[in-house]
Amino acid sequence: MTPSPDLIQELRASRPAAPADLRWRVRELAASEATPTAAPWSKLRLRLPARRFVLVALPAATVLALTTAGVLGLARSDAPSAEVLRGELAQTDKDSLESAVPETAPVQTETFGAGATPGAADAIAPDANRAQQISATLTVEVSDSDGVSDAAQKALDLTERLGGHVVSASVVTGEGANAAITLRVPVAKVQEAIVGLSALGSIVSQQVSIQDLQATLDQLERRERSVRAQIAVLVARLESEPLDAETRARLQARLQNLRAELRVLRRGLAGTRAEARMATIQLTVVTPESTGAVAPQSRLDRTLDEAVNVLVWEAVIALAILIIAAPFALVLLATWLGRRFYRRREEERLLATW
Amino acid sequence: MSLDAPRSADLDARSFATVAEELLDDVYGYLLYMTKNWALAEDLTSETFETALRRWKRFDPRRGTHRAWLLAIARSTALDWFRADSRRRKREERADAEDPRHDREPAFGEGFSAELEEALRALTAGEREVVALRVVLELDGDETAALLGISPTAVSTRLHRALAKLEERMRHHDAVA
Repeated sequence: MTPSPDLIQELRASRPAAPADLRWRVRELAASEATPTAAPWSKLRLRLPARRFVLVALPAATVLALTTAGVLGLARSDAPSAEVLRGELAQTDKDSLESAVPETAPVQTETFGAGATPGAADAIAPDANRAQQISATLTVEVSDSDGVSDAAQKALDLTERLGGHVVSASVVTGEGANAAITLRVPVAKVQEAIVGLSALGSIVSQQVSIQDLQATLDQLERRERSVRAQIAVLVARLESEPLDAETRARLQARLQNLRAELRVLRRGLAGTRAEARMATIQLTVVTPESTGAVAPQSRLDRTLDEAVNVLVWEAVIALAILIIAAPFALVLLATWLGRRFYRRREEERLLATW
Repeated sequence: MSLDAPRSADLDARSFATVAEELLDDVYGYLLYMTKNWALAEDLTSETFETALRRWKRFDPRRGTHRAWLLAIARSTALDWFRADSRRRKREERADAEDPRHDREPAFGEGFSAELEEALRALTAGEREVVALRVVLELDGDETAALLGISPTAVSTRLHRALAKLEERMRHHDAVA
């Protein structure tokens, strides 16, 4: 339906004009405009509509995240790689462990790294005139899984030939092949054993440790002699002297204690001598794959790796924030929408009733 | 005939006084149509310009004209008053007794014929509002839709319904006379 032109004309003709007193009031109000009401810094305030703000904020946040990742990646690429760090940490742990051993006797240790010659073990030679506990740790690298099996077999053969025995052995073939064997060989043959085992592959690391047991052995022997002498005296008294019942009982109890101590001393002496007779060698056979050895990365590769790591962490943090904030945002959005809907309905109602 | 008015190109930095002087009649006319009470329209017009002066620094010419901005403030002011009045009447439970909608005082003031005033009185505020904006103040469809928060189609529908009702009332008045 087209509205009547007369009606439109009449509506426009009767267009209301503000009364003079209202005009005067508004003029008076406008006259106060000259007084600055805004704070001086309000001009500096950046006014961006929400849509434009998002358009600016999103690329800015992306650039910031990438820049942070790049800078951190570049800074961290100077640091040693994770593998090297792990190796150093492992070595530090081992050192800590060794230093934690109670110093019952001075320990003489010599460690040789990759490329050491088999003869390097000669640097610490066992003293044939003293009781010593000798232990060696040896890691050799062979080319592949078959090499691990061969080396393990040769190690067992060598041990048998030298008059020793195997304490434990673990051989893994296939992917990540490696072998861990603990051997005991006569001290007199330990150098021969180390030389032979070192020849099984290229030496990755080698450590020989010697702990002197002679002082302990001497102490045990002295105590044993003393205890035996005391026992002999007591036995003589009990057999030859007329003793009252109480004294006899006391001496017999003392004799029993001494005999028990003698038994312990003899066991200790036997164990110490056994320790001094046989040396312990821990042999580890590895392949390049099982050690995870990789070619050193270039600075660019390390930078990229570190940058990706930082980006991943940034993404994780952003995701966590999103997960935490999402329910609140949804509640706020629902509240806002509900309030808006309610106000719209209320306005419609007011406009319909007025 | 076209109801569209040429879009005002006031993307400038005029003073508040200039804008107020130029648009006072528009704001007052709009509020008079909304409230159908000249005294109330005057009060709300004053309130609208006070609010506008406080927000003057925040006006962004890229988002609309001065007129649309002032009318939006006027609408919000009127709705706030309607809301407050509705609450007050509910609280006092005197709805009909003192309802200003039912007083017989000439509400629109001078310039309106008796039949036009009677016909306008019969419209709801929502209908009078769209007549004021589109016919009297000659805002275009998009501007009106943005101001009312509805679609241009809804504006058109509401306007035609209001004009039809107005015409019907006018015809009825003539017939009775």
